[in-house]
Amino acid sequence: MSLLEIRGLTQRFGGLQALSNFSASLEEHGLAALIGPNGAGKTTVFNVVSGFYAPTEGSIFLNGKPIQGMKPHQITALGLARTFQNIRLWNELSVLDNIRVAQHHWLGYGFLSAVLRSGRYMAAEKRVESKSREVLEIMGLAEHAAELPRNLPYGVQRRVELARAISTNPRLLLLDEPAAGLNSADVDGLIRLIRWIHEEFKICIWMIEHQMKVVTSLCRWITVIDFGRIIAEGGPREIQNNPEVIKAYLGDDTL
Amino acid sequence: MRSRAVNLFFLFSALGLVVAAQAGLLDNYILTVLMFMGINCIFAASLNLVNGYMGEFSCGHGGFMCVGAYAGSLLSVAFFTNSKLFGAPIFAPELAPLLFPLVLLGAGLAAALFGLIVALPSFHTRDDYLAIITIAANYIIISIVENIDAIGGPRGFSGMKRSVAAMNDVLELPWMLIWVILGTFVCTLILYRLVTSTYGKGIPAVCQNEVAAEIMGVNTNRVKIMAFMVSSGLAGLAGALYAHVYGYVNAQAFNILKSTEGLVMVYLGGMGSLSGVMLAAVAFTLLVEALRFIIPALNDILHVSGLLPADFEISQIWKWVLIPFILILLMQFRPEGLLGNRELTQAFPRLRRWVSFK
Repeated sequence: MSLLEIRGLTQRFGGLQALSNFSASLEEHGLAALIGPNGAGKTTVFNVVSGFYAPTEGSIFLNGKPIQGMKPHQITALGLARTFQNIRLWNELSVLDNIRVAQHHWLGYGFLSAVLRSGRYMAAEKRVESKSREVLEIMGLAEHAAELPRNLPYGVQRRVELARAISTNPRLLLLDEPAAGLNSADVDGLIRLIRWIHEEFKICIWMIEHQMKVVTSLCRWITVIDFGRIIAEGGPREIQNNPEVIKAYLGDDTL
Repeated sequence: MRSRAVNLFFLFSALGLVVAAQAGLLDNYILTVLMFMGINCIFAASLNLVNGYMGEFSCGHGGFMCVGAYAGSLLSVAFFTNSKLFGAPIFAPELAPLLFPLVLLGAGLAAALFGLIVALPSFHTRDDYLAIITIAANYIIISIVENIDAIGGPRGFSGMKRSVAAMNDVLELPWMLIWVILGTFVCTLILYRLVTSTYGKGIPAVCQNEVAAEIMGVNTNRVKIMAFMVSSGLAGLAGALYAHVYGYVNAQAFNILKSTEGLVMVYLGGMGSLSGVMLAAVAFTLLVEALRFIIPALNDILHVSGLLPADFEISQIWKWVLIPFILILLMQFRPEGLLGNRELTQAFPRLRRWVSFK
């Protein structure tokens, strides 16, 4: 059984057809990419999968459970996490608190426990605290724990966002353009980091990325979409030589 | 260890106040001002949960105080006194000192329920639009209360003095001062524990990036309901205390002017700063009381020095020019409030020797 199964996904916004009959399947512990020209509908796929939009048609299964129409926080609780194209950290909360709040869905206590400081509260806070410290430690962010994200360099902010996503305990991690805005040295570091995360946490990673270096050095399976439709699928070598893909990226009036 | 010293300091000041009041060292006026400080602290700190931590602009907070004031008054009159409305007391009046917390709790719960008027629309609306809804909620609540003739309608409602008297019959103590101190303490404790818990940090997360909060697993709708209900519930607690300190409630005391007072206190102290808002509430109460003396004094001075025509008097109404004017100045020059979203210990690191705020 595949970890994520998307069948016949169609997404319309009024008269605009953002996705038509999009299907994909991701294996447990896979590493795949979703690429395509600007406006092809890549982020829409991620937004539908993470529950931000309910799909117009089609079905999505995470680990065998249908998730279309669920709220994003419910889907997160089922094991999906994502990062954003433009960093969306909570800038007035410390880095540590960013990681702590991302564990909201498995706190297991509510307002009364928080106010009474019950045993359940104490146990949950202890668990969250040690998990957060651990994630910060292995992501090399321990020294920034008390800082506010907005005071950190851009590359570090990206790492904090990744750490935050990992701390939700995902089985599937969606990365929306993780290399956007990074210089080439940072990109090499990012490639190593993603490969390491993939091995260390044994999770499945699906990424949207424009930098082919990142995609070809990491991903064994690539899906290419244009105008909301899949135009090619396969390994890096096949995709690079696929005439449809070349046409989509370069335009069909060449030669 | 160090924060224990601070706790002891507060404990002894509270005990000192009660003892001083009991010994008759504080006259009634000073006592009332002290109690209003506490009530304003609760009112402002609870508003701060929504306006500061959650970043919404609620300007109808007075409405929830109104619900609490009436609910608390009705409960207390029904519980402990002989009244035309409810007949014989439900409990023996001797139990009043013991059961008064029930009155406060009931007032808080009633106000928290009314908080839903604002919480439910907040799922789909925010910012300016939600602010308009909060004003509407304020007006709705006051109109409802004013149009229920059984509880006095526009004439207001009284009888709470008899509940307080029932407590004094059991034991002669400054009961309302004690309840206000306890209420302020409980309110501070609730808010402090909430905003320092991981659960409560979902509130600023919703404020700073709602999309990220929802996608990172925070049930944003539940967090909003919780924040609005806690906020309005605590305002209700403040209302019940207010009703018993005055012994009389009138819906118009909780109109938009009351809500504006809350806004001034929150924005004076700093949005999202619990200690800042508490300090601002104390300072604001003192300022309003000082104006009672400053305005007539100013009036006399200007008349004596001939700067003001003899037939023009500066009256207390000018308070309502000055208070909103403070709000204008604050918004213009320091929109984040005096402390911003920092706590006292962050603004003055030396305080950390004595207390920590996580």
